[in-house]
Amino acid sequence: MSHYTRTQSQQHPTQRQFNPYTENGGTILAIAGADFSVIAGDTRQSEGYSIQTRYAPKVFKLTDKAVLAVNGFAADGNMFVKKVKQRLEWYRHAHSKDMPLRSIARLIQTMLYAQRFFPYYVYNILGGIEEDGTGAVYSFDPVGSYEREACRAAGSAQSLVQPFLDNQIYFKNQTPVLGTSHPTHLPLRHVVQLVIDSFTSATERHIEVGDGVELYIILARGRGTQGLDSFKDVQELTPHAEGERLFVLRRELKKD
Amino acid sequence: MQYNGGSIVAMVGKNCVAIASDLRLGNQALTIATDFEKVFPITDRIYLGMAGLATDVLTLRERFRFRVNMYSIKEEREIEPKTLAQLVSSTLYERRFGPYFIEPIIAGLTDSSKGSQPFIASADLIGCLNFAKDFVVVGTAEDKLLGVAEGLWEPDLEPEDLFETISQTLLNAVDRDAFSGWGAVVHVITPDKVITRTLKGRMD
Repeated sequence: MSHYTRTQSQQHPTQRQFNPYTENGGTILAIAGADFSVIAGDTRQSEGYSIQTRYAPKVFKLTDKAVLAVNGFAADGNMFVKKVKQRLEWYRHAHSKDMPLRSIARLIQTMLYAQRFFPYYVYNILGGIEEDGTGAVYSFDPVGSYEREACRAAGSAQSLVQPFLDNQIYFKNQTPVLGTSHPTHLPLRHVVQLVIDSFTSATERHIEVGDGVELYIILARGRGTQGLDSFKDVQELTPHAEGERLFVLRRELKKD
Repeated sequence: MQYNGGSIVAMVGKNCVAIASDLRLGNQALTIATDFEKVFPITDRIYLGMAGLATDVLTLRERFRFRVNMYSIKEEREIEPKTLAQLVSSTLYERRFGPYFIEPIIAGLTDSSKGSQPFIASADLIGCLNFAKDFVVVGTAEDKLLGVAEGLWEPDLEPEDLFETISQTLLNAVDRDAFSGWGAVVHVITPDKVITRTLKGRMD
């Protein structure tokens, strides 16, 4: 028989666990046009039922022709964007030019898969202009599976937005008038309006979406600004009109 | 709720309402039948839809038929939509601690002698009612339905436009849901007739 008494914690084995991940809500969305690309995300950041901030950007400019939207665990997202930007800077120093979009996509895949057994808890959507001047959207899962698409929604309101996009972008379940066909790419003005409508709808029905939306619009080299003129407060981020041009459009969303 | 799958949506239009459901019956991921209707006529101008556990859908259809018949006999008049909603609610709440696993939707027009107003309502599985003025959704694709409906619906749609809106909403929502689909039935209820159409969707 032992002479000393056991403390409470020694009598019953206890388990402790550190959870390295959090889900910070929000939604991102990107649509590719023939010679432009639109990438958007809401600006609310939440943890459970609490709003941490009403302005935490999820969409980031990588180069003049590439924009990355990151959704999921915000800490991982910010760190991931930081590392992608760093790799793109190294590329610039080595090759004296910006990395092409499809190469950025492949880079993101390798960077995500490098963390295969402790993943970045984020869904990425990359939008921009391809070397051939076409608008492109690449979507990724947290471990790097990726695909080029015409449109993609991700995040907490993906299930609300994606079927709406299937209907309005891909014209799913719609039959064209006899002798006509559905357009493969929609005009810029129409696309921007659809993106804003998608976020307004998602805000209405999802508690983690709201506060504000940021739309990044990338125009291919030599394309005019037609389609953007009807929106006010469009801010240009590129210093000159040669090459690809990047614009940002901000809209308020409901805050409840 | 995901054991058998299935989804229902109802929408208000101008002097009309529409209610639509998919036709799938599954056992988890395995599709058992592709002609399983979940929406039933209660009177000439009121329809009741139930999404959830299929065995409870069939049980409650008979139970509601019985209770509505008893109501008609005692009151010597047809039941009103809001009365049916209360009846559905109390029937479900009776089983508060051992519920029927269904979520109902009621869609109908009020008595024509009192102006024939459109009426929709939904409830959760223990009968908590939701009287919406625009649209209601239940089932395994409810989040998808909510997103599409919020984007497509607008006030005061005429019957044919309401039919198109509810059909597109349902079809595009169930195409993103593994537990719903395999075609749809749409009922558009107007003061003088009910238009019922069976739709083919993606059959996969």
